[in-house]
Amino acid sequence: MHYPWWYVSKLTGPMLIALIATTHVFVSMYAVGGGIYLAGETGYAYKVNNKSLLEYLRSQAMFFILLTVVFGAITGVGIWWTIGLTSPLATESLIHIFVFGWAMEYVFFVLEITSAFIFFYYWGRLEPKIHKTIGWIYAVSAWFSLVLITGITAFQLNIGSWTPAKGMWSAFFNPQTFPQIVARTGASLLLASLYVFLHASIKLRHDNELRFLVGTKASKWGMAGAILVTLGGIWWYTNLPESGKDALTAASALQILTMIIFASSIVVFFMLYFGPYHNPSWITPGFAILLFLFGLAATGTGEFIRESTRKPYIIYDYVLGNNVLVDEIPKLQKDGYLNGGVWTKEFMKVHYPEVFDKNGNIDNQKLLQLPEKDQVKVGEVIFQYHCNDCHSRNGFSAVSDLTRGWTPEMVNTIIIYLDAAHFFMPPWSGTMQEAAVLTKYITSLSQPHPAGMKYSFAKSAPNNSGKANAYGDTK
Amino acid sequence: MNPQDLIAPPSSLGNPAPFWFITFFKVLGFILHMIPMNIWYVGMLLVALFATFGKGHSEELAHRFTRTMPIIVALGVNLGIVPLLFTQVGYYQFYYPAGVLIGWPWISVIVLLTFAYYGVYVYSLNVRNSKRTKFAIASACISSVLFIVIGFLFANNFSLMVNEDNWINIFNRTNVGAAPTGMALNTSDPTLFPRWLMMFGIAIMTTAVYIIFDGFYFKRNSTSAQYKAWAVKFSFGIFTLGMIWFAVMGSWYIFGTLDKFTLDQIVGTPIMLFIFFLTAISPGAPWIALLLMRVRVNSNILPSRKGSVLLAMIAQLIVIVLNAISRQWVQNAELLRYSDVSKLAVNTQWSPMIVFLILFVIGLGVVGWMIAKIIAVERLAEKA
Repeated sequence: MHYPWWYVSKLTGPMLIALIATTHVFVSMYAVGGGIYLAGETGYAYKVNNKSLLEYLRSQAMFFILLTVVFGAITGVGIWWTIGLTSPLATESLIHIFVFGWAMEYVFFVLEITSAFIFFYYWGRLEPKIHKTIGWIYAVSAWFSLVLITGITAFQLNIGSWTPAKGMWSAFFNPQTFPQIVARTGASLLLASLYVFLHASIKLRHDNELRFLVGTKASKWGMAGAILVTLGGIWWYTNLPESGKDALTAASALQILTMIIFASSIVVFFMLYFGPYHNPSWITPGFAILLFLFGLAATGTGEFIRESTRKPYIIYDYVLGNNVLVDEIPKLQKDGYLNGGVWTKEFMKVHYPEVFDKNGNIDNQKLLQLPEKDQVKVGEVIFQYHCNDCHSRNGFSAVSDLTRGWTPEMVNTIIIYLDAAHFFMPPWSGTMQEAAVLTKYITSLSQPHPAGMKYSFAKSAPNNSGKANAYGDTK
Repeated sequence: MNPQDLIAPPSSLGNPAPFWFITFFKVLGFILHMIPMNIWYVGMLLVALFATFGKGHSEELAHRFTRTMPIIVALGVNLGIVPLLFTQVGYYQFYYPAGVLIGWPWISVIVLLTFAYYGVYVYSLNVRNSKRTKFAIASACISSVLFIVIGFLFANNFSLMVNEDNWINIFNRTNVGAAPTGMALNTSDPTLFPRWLMMFGIAIMTTAVYIIFDGFYFKRNSTSAQYKAWAVKFSFGIFTLGMIWFAVMGSWYIFGTLDKFTLDQIVGTPIMLFIFFLTAISPGAPWIALLLMRVRVNSNILPSRKGSVLLAMIAQLIVIVLNAISRQWVQNAELLRYSDVSKLAVNTQWSPMIVFLILFVIGLGVVGWMIAKIIAVERLAEKA
């Protein structure tokens, strides 16, 4: 409402966040877990004076830098880019609450970059003790950056006792922070071990002895990670807000995905135990790729579930998915959604000056006096700013499909009782007149009830949108 | 439409730090970002040119750039986070709408940067392995072009941020149901091109000084004397070009495109006018240092590392600092047409700020310790 809404046709803007964020997580978790692994294993290699292991770890460090410092760092910045574009109000709020959290994270970024480059480029030139210390500086910095960003994303899911009058610490130490730190630390170690298997299976394919050693040791990190993921996941669930738990039970897709996540963590644990840990000869490129893809799928699914449980909010109880502050809703319901939006109001002034009263506000009654096609156009404006954050017109989660065969009355009722019908959707935040014009717009998009079903109601005359509806209602 | 009506209401949370603090860190971050960014901006162009056409010392320069470029890009990207963070804290009402209005080109920065960065690595790894394939050369050339395009996109967003009149034009042209499609650029803004090209002038100057710094501080083999002499001559040449470029583009920007209101703000504030004057003449200082080095080289005397080389580096740092301060001042002056961002409510978060500052100092200390360790290694290698 405060900012222009970026219309991303077919996909919706927030789906861009999902794409970039998920891709980033695949690498950023390796940046943390891989850092801990490299520091720990390099220390071990120095201790036992295993030169071939050190040489291997050096090549692993090169791979690590190429992936994390380049792709990880840029996609991390990319998330900022995208959230600023697709959820500007929520980003504005998060930045104002957590600016010093991000600034602290930045300090750790600089430490990460500096130590990562020195760790790799001065390999063999620094004394082992200093080299190990620099490795641990990287590992600790990377883990602290995980802690800081986790506190922020956890806050989005459960704000705990935070109120706008309270500061950053109250927001940071929310009920979700520690469970998510445990789970993400585990996921980082687990994913790092899968990256190591992948790298070692190719790089050491002709050196069985070393490959077995690397595989056995990496599997220990991975198993520790799997245990942490499971414990953190259970803790995460217990600290979910009521609506988050309900979302997991209400949506069958989420139920299945949650079960897959927990099952896959246990399966991966046993695969690691019976595979690389006890039978390191299993580490072939095929097995490593399979395990790796399994890990990516589990990580991506975990992130998807985590995000789903905070619906309809971007910041729980504070900013809704459609970039409306929760406190603004009563005023929007009274004065109108179009009146409350900076850009919607300006748009209306230019295109429909006749609906404005002498005080420069939109007279909602006059919306219904506009010609029919203009009412549909105004409905489109409301759709863009109220609904397009989750629903495209005819692409991802398309409103045209979701309302297949619905009558205008059904559409209107769902709009007015939006949060009652689906608790994971935001409440209707406009007037009844605005709901009426939005209904006209959505009805103009909705597809007919699928034909050919035995009990199909879609045989009757078309409705006012020119399409058949479920009950043959033509009004 | 009235541009002022398009400005989002201030955050009810208030700014988490006083305006001077936000501005200080924004400018500090921009200075730190500008140094590596300048070097990759022009450095990669030189790599592309010399990798294709270079011979002897120019080819060697391309190799030297290539070795350090991955680190320079990493530092530049990460140091760019600070000004971006504080821009979002203090200038959110302007930063977000501008980004949304040019959404697709703006988000493409991420994709372009990824390709540009990997292009740098492709060439760098090739050179490290003593190869120089056509693919690697093409990668360097593409990276160079991509960095220049990214600079252009940044200039678009940051010029649009302070030009609300153009918000309306773009919005009217590109919206679907009052939602912008993000398929636009700010090309009708007269300040866009001089802004972008002016930065290129500073980048040439910074790169010229970096070449000297690299040659005199990191070049140690037997051919170093000839290379250093060549580097001085070459740097002096391109610095002179950059300085003229900067003067022309800067004059175009200030006198040819800034509106009367903004110019009045500059002229009406004596300290601002003074800083602008210093900014305009400051490139003369490193140029004189380079000139002195050039004269010494002509007499077959290599300049001293701790004398004129250090002087040129400090002088160029001052050029960058003054430029960053002036740009910040112009940005504030341009925004005053619509709103005074320095008057936004403040709700200082003292304890997080103190923890950040403590961590910042500790972080600098740890970075300093790590750098001291590698300097010790380098010195040992030099002695050996």
